[in-house]
Amino acid sequence: VAKAWDVPGLGPTSKFRDAAGRVILTRWFEMMSRRDATLRGDDHEDLHAMRVSSRRLRAAMDAFEGTFPKKSFRPFVRQVKEITSVLGASRDLDVAIVRLTALAPTMADEARPGVDGLVARYRDARAAETGSIAELFDRLDRDHFERRLVAYVTKHTGVRMDRFDPGPRSGRAR
Amino acid sequence: VAKLRRIKGLAPEKGLRPNARRILAVRIDEVYAYDPHIRDPANVIELHDMRIACKRLRYLMEIFGVAFSADLDPFVDRVTILQDILGDIHDCDVQVPMLEEHLASLAGPTALGDQRVGVQALIDRRRSEREQFYERFLAEWRHMKLGRFRQRLEAALGVKR
Repeated sequence: VAKAWDVPGLGPTSKFRDAAGRVILTRWFEMMSRRDATLRGDDHEDLHAMRVSSRRLRAAMDAFEGTFPKKSFRPFVRQVKEITSVLGASRDLDVAIVRLTALAPTMADEARPGVDGLVARYRDARAAETGSIAELFDRLDRDHFERRLVAYVTKHTGVRMDRFDPGPRSGRAR
Repeated sequence: VAKLRRIKGLAPEKGLRPNARRILAVRIDEVYAYDPHIRDPANVIELHDMRIACKRLRYLMEIFGVAFSADLDPFVDRVTILQDILGDIHDCDVQVPMLEEHLASLAGPTALGDQRVGVQALIDRRRSEREQFYERFLAEWRHMKLGRFRQRLEAALGVKR
């Protein structure tokens, strides 16, 4: 799994509120950087990496929830949970397919139809999930979710995107 | 899923470290709260909830690690091992009923063979793996307790009990 992005400007002397903004925004952009590859679906590791990033983002939102007004923060948390959940459904199927495909040659001949049948069933379910992921991200775009999240985090933490540049390696505080 | 305990006394205007220490102390406590409930392998819900508690603790240590002078990576690694084994147990607990349901839905032999044989073999395999994972989990948990994992972690964080 790809390493988590370093959080620009985060250090031992950071204030909790400032750290909240930096960590949450870094994890958001880390997750979204994997969106295109996930939707292309050439390599199931891309989806896995995106799901791991989404879980890191969720964890960051849990960690820093004390920084935000509970009621207004909840819809953002709920949306990120949905992203994790939708990606998770596909990931579970990817894992099951890989596992069963590897297992099949080691099983007795009379067991093969059952294993092959399950793999076929999981592949059909997985194909359907790809559409769900695309729909979810289309909806996020229509709802301007990213713009709203960034504005909300900036409002409550003071971390501004024009002074902050998260990225895979070169992310630095500006 | 186990509900998160509310953290009292957070002060967002103050430094990351005192707030992180307060949060981590509660999340460590949540993991250890499952100790009395995990001796019975049939406690599927408690084992699953402990996995979630481990996951939360692990991610928080990763997020807040920068705030502490002590290296938290060895503690993160240990919790990750525990979380992974509990994840393996949970996968079995989820998959066996699903496979059983699938088995019940299958008709008898067809021209392609009898699918029920393979599905039953998978169920047997997952049940056996579950037993092995559970034994491994108990051994790991025992090892952590003998190694005073909690005390060492709390000392690294400066948590006073």
